[in-house]
Amino acid sequence: MRAKLFTSLAIGALGLLVGLWLICPPATRANGDKHEEKGGHAHVPAPLEYADAHVPLAVWTDPAMIARGKEIYTVKCAVCHGDTGDGKGPAGVVLPLKPSDFRDKAGVAEMRDNYWFWRVSDGGQVEPFKGKGSAMPSWKSELSVEDRWAVMAYQHTYSGHDGPHVPWEHPESVAMGRDIFVMACVPCHGVVGKGDGSVGPMLAPRRAPQPRDFTSAEFKFRSTPSGQLPMTADLFRTMTEGVRSGGGPMTIGLRGHRIMPSFQHMPVEQRLEVLEYVKSLNRGFWERGAVKTVTVPAPPTLTPERLTRGKQLYTDAECLACHGERGRGDGLSAPTLKDNRDLPIAATDLTRPERFKTGSRPEDVYRTLMTGLAGTPMPSYGDALEPDQAWDLVYYVLSLSNNRRRTSEAVR
Amino acid sequence: MSTILLMVLTIAVGAWTAFADEAPIAGTVKTVDVGAQTLTLEVASKGKTREVIVYMKPGAKIVRFIRPTEPGKTGFIEQEVPLSAVKVGWIVSATTKHEGDREVAEQVKIVVERSL
Repeated sequence: MRAKLFTSLAIGALGLLVGLWLICPPATRANGDKHEEKGGHAHVPAPLEYADAHVPLAVWTDPAMIARGKEIYTVKCAVCHGDTGDGKGPAGVVLPLKPSDFRDKAGVAEMRDNYWFWRVSDGGQVEPFKGKGSAMPSWKSELSVEDRWAVMAYQHTYSGHDGPHVPWEHPESVAMGRDIFVMACVPCHGVVGKGDGSVGPMLAPRRAPQPRDFTSAEFKFRSTPSGQLPMTADLFRTMTEGVRSGGGPMTIGLRGHRIMPSFQHMPVEQRLEVLEYVKSLNRGFWERGAVKTVTVPAPPTLTPERLTRGKQLYTDAECLACHGERGRGDGLSAPTLKDNRDLPIAATDLTRPERFKTGSRPEDVYRTLMTGLAGTPMPSYGDALEPDQAWDLVYYVLSLSNNRRRTSEAVR
Repeated sequence: MSTILLMVLTIAVGAWTAFADEAPIAGTVKTVDVGAQTLTLEVASKGKTREVIVYMKPGAKIVRFIRPTEPGKTGFIEQEVPLSAVKVGWIVSATTKHEGDREVAEQVKIVVERSL
């Protein structure tokens, strides 16, 4: 009887303890943050400045790089991440944001290479990690890019994965982007991004432009030299602003005469997730080396002399062959123009800036001139024009448009 | 019976209180006051930053982790560091207990010995 009573009391007391624990748990997370997600390591997309920081494929399996990474890891990382990569180094065990456990296959697989590089480079001193109390230092001032790659390659070995750490080995790393792509992009760009969605042909029936084939190497809107893949920032700009152009009946309702809608109201993180998925459709983003982008210098002051020189360049560069003397897209060659899919394509009417595909700001026109539009008859003038000459031409092109009044006012 | 009940309850609440009162804390060293035996840490949580004064309990240790120099030995060993050697900008962690309105630490671990 007495023993039974004692057992009941013990169970009751245990229940009370559990109840108290649930109502007011002890501060098991440091700094008072008790409800951190798994180690706080939400794999948010890397910011744009790191979005193209993809690790060369060979690095992940290169024994020399892995050995170099081990040396660095042992000195700089193991004190928190542990000698076995389990995130339980002596200095890491009581940290509020637990150091990553590199043996966690699923966690590592979800971590994209550019995110990983960002974390090693900037550490926890940027949001959203700083606000969670991350103690991870920034290593970009102490470790070269190659050293950071080496450390990542070594850390990657703990996960047990043998191949390169890329999206086609770890589809789960782009799963969120893929889900958004399915909802927002498939109707035009198709299930596998080849630009063959069911709605595509109705956007511009039997003529260009057609939805982009993300698996090809041709991207129109770039800040990279002709023939190269775009930067993530280029894709982000296109996604955010959409593509201006006249289209078929399916484009009615797309404000601003867009053939591709603007996704500016989609949260930035979601846009970046989609772009990580889009890039995963083309291995070229991982196989290319360092990329030089076409920088847009600060626009010079507009003067009447610039417009005169721009007008001459417009003739010399044979812009009028397609765009016509007055820029209305009615040059002699205009009716015969075709894109790389052999579809008729209209020369842009330069008097209607609202239809300039990548925007009508001076810097937009400059970029288009210097990079060209891949897959269309519009060539790159990057090798033919000096930046100053390009600005002359930009101002002249803009003077042809409805901006004429504004341009004239600026000259006055 | 009531004695047993009281004892069990006391143990349960005591255990909970002991756990609840202990909190790990980590942050950047903002100031070091050797005279007062305190470290002021800038800590962040839930997107907010605040400063916490950590009082060193008498006899409390500050340690860094170093590799053993003996051949064949692996892992890390603790090396004690005086409070005066701790520099502003370092990142440290500590498990503190509330004593009145103070956060009191028995041990502080140095995580990163450089300004971030």
